[in-house]
Amino acid sequence: MAAVEELSEPDDLTADEREAVQHQLFRLADDEFVVAERYTEWQVKAPTLESDLAFSNIAQDELGHARLWYDLLQDWGAEESELIWERDPSEWRHSTLAELPFDEGDWADPVLRSYLYDVAEDIQLRALQDSSYPRIRDRVGKILGEEDYHREHAANWLERLCEEEESRARVQDALDRLFPHALTLFAPTDEAVEERIDELGIRSEPLVTMREEWLDEVIPFLESLGLSVDDAELPEQYDVHHSQLELPEHTGRDQSHTDAWFDLHDDFTHTYQELGRTSAERIMKDPDDE
Amino acid sequence: MSNAYDTDIPDSVDPVDDDCVEPAGEACAYTEYVEGEAYDDVPATGEGAEGVERDVWDTLYEIEDPEMPISIVDLGLIYGVSVDDTDDGTVATIDMTLTYSGCPARDMLQDQTQEAVEDVDGVDRADLRLVWSPEWNLELVTEQGEQDLRDFGLSI
Repeated sequence: MAAVEELSEPDDLTADEREAVQHQLFRLADDEFVVAERYTEWQVKAPTLESDLAFSNIAQDELGHARLWYDLLQDWGAEESELIWERDPSEWRHSTLAELPFDEGDWADPVLRSYLYDVAEDIQLRALQDSSYPRIRDRVGKILGEEDYHREHAANWLERLCEEEESRARVQDALDRLFPHALTLFAPTDEAVEERIDELGIRSEPLVTMREEWLDEVIPFLESLGLSVDDAELPEQYDVHHSQLELPEHTGRDQSHTDAWFDLHDDFTHTYQELGRTSAERIMKDPDDE
Repeated sequence: MSNAYDTDIPDSVDPVDDDCVEPAGEACAYTEYVEGEAYDDVPATGEGAEGVERDVWDTLYEIEDPEMPISIVDLGLIYGVSVDDTDDGTVATIDMTLTYSGCPARDMLQDQTQEAVEDVDGVDRADLRLVWSPEWNLELVTEQGEQDLRDFGLSI
């Protein structure tokens, strides 16, 4: 494979390069922001004090990571408020796994969701460590360093929830519901642009390879807990491995979303809209300016 | 003599994946902050700086972390300072990191640093650049910083 050439500074990218970098950044930023937005719904509602604090902190981590990625999208002139509060919901590119609502008290869902999400995130971040775009590469280490305990937390809770029949059945319900949506983590935003992301070396692994890696990690673990991933059972003689798995109607990546996303978007932009904001203004005057 | 708590300790607990050095079954009483590596070129501490650059460093030393009485320089957040004469006047460029990406004090600390540096005599403008590589870790805290953190009550 030919050595990948380093990409230029933001302003010097060609239109094609810039589009590819932006697609990669929106994948990352939107996932983190939306999944965190959902996680915060568990604040003061998680089953134990420790899990409440842990889950709130995980949400805070993901918001911090979203911000590191949105920072890079601001290189082309957009403000943070335009990227988050003012962007039309039909333009977001997060996986539908991030946007699905929780049923009240259904703790198995966020635990499983965060496991599926965080294993995928780890694989996707590692594929960016040698990115040809230096501004992405520079941030990956910081984020990876803050992710390890997310997976530990989720895996640890999954093990406990799967020890008893009743709670394992709840995890199984969540798995049946979430699994197709988790696959959209590896869905393309646009086939041609994703190919360009690979060709330009913005990431070192194509989506299909990362998806295989993810399946090879999550399926054996889930099965070891007594869960079944029916869709993943394919005859071994077919070398297609998991390529037959079906995606849900909406993948999120291609900007098609479930109804739940539009409700969530209404919720988190509600105050911004109600106050007639056009930018993220300061609530208080800076005392130094008085 | 056995104590009452023994009954709660399982006979076998898998000790793998546990940061603790205690035998299985005992509580994890503390977190050891030993992760991280030292780097050759960061943090910057302003050693040997002169003139306006010295004044910029002195100002940075006066800025404290919002939660702990430790200077942001001794905490190891400053990765570089340069002072250059340009067509726009004298510009101080500060490369700075944060301990945590989700730091809620990010804007506050950035604004405070920018304003303080722009107040330095001889500086017309400050350019603050947030950098995330190499990642901050405890090895970046200076000796003075470690002392300050110990005085504050942290075991480091």
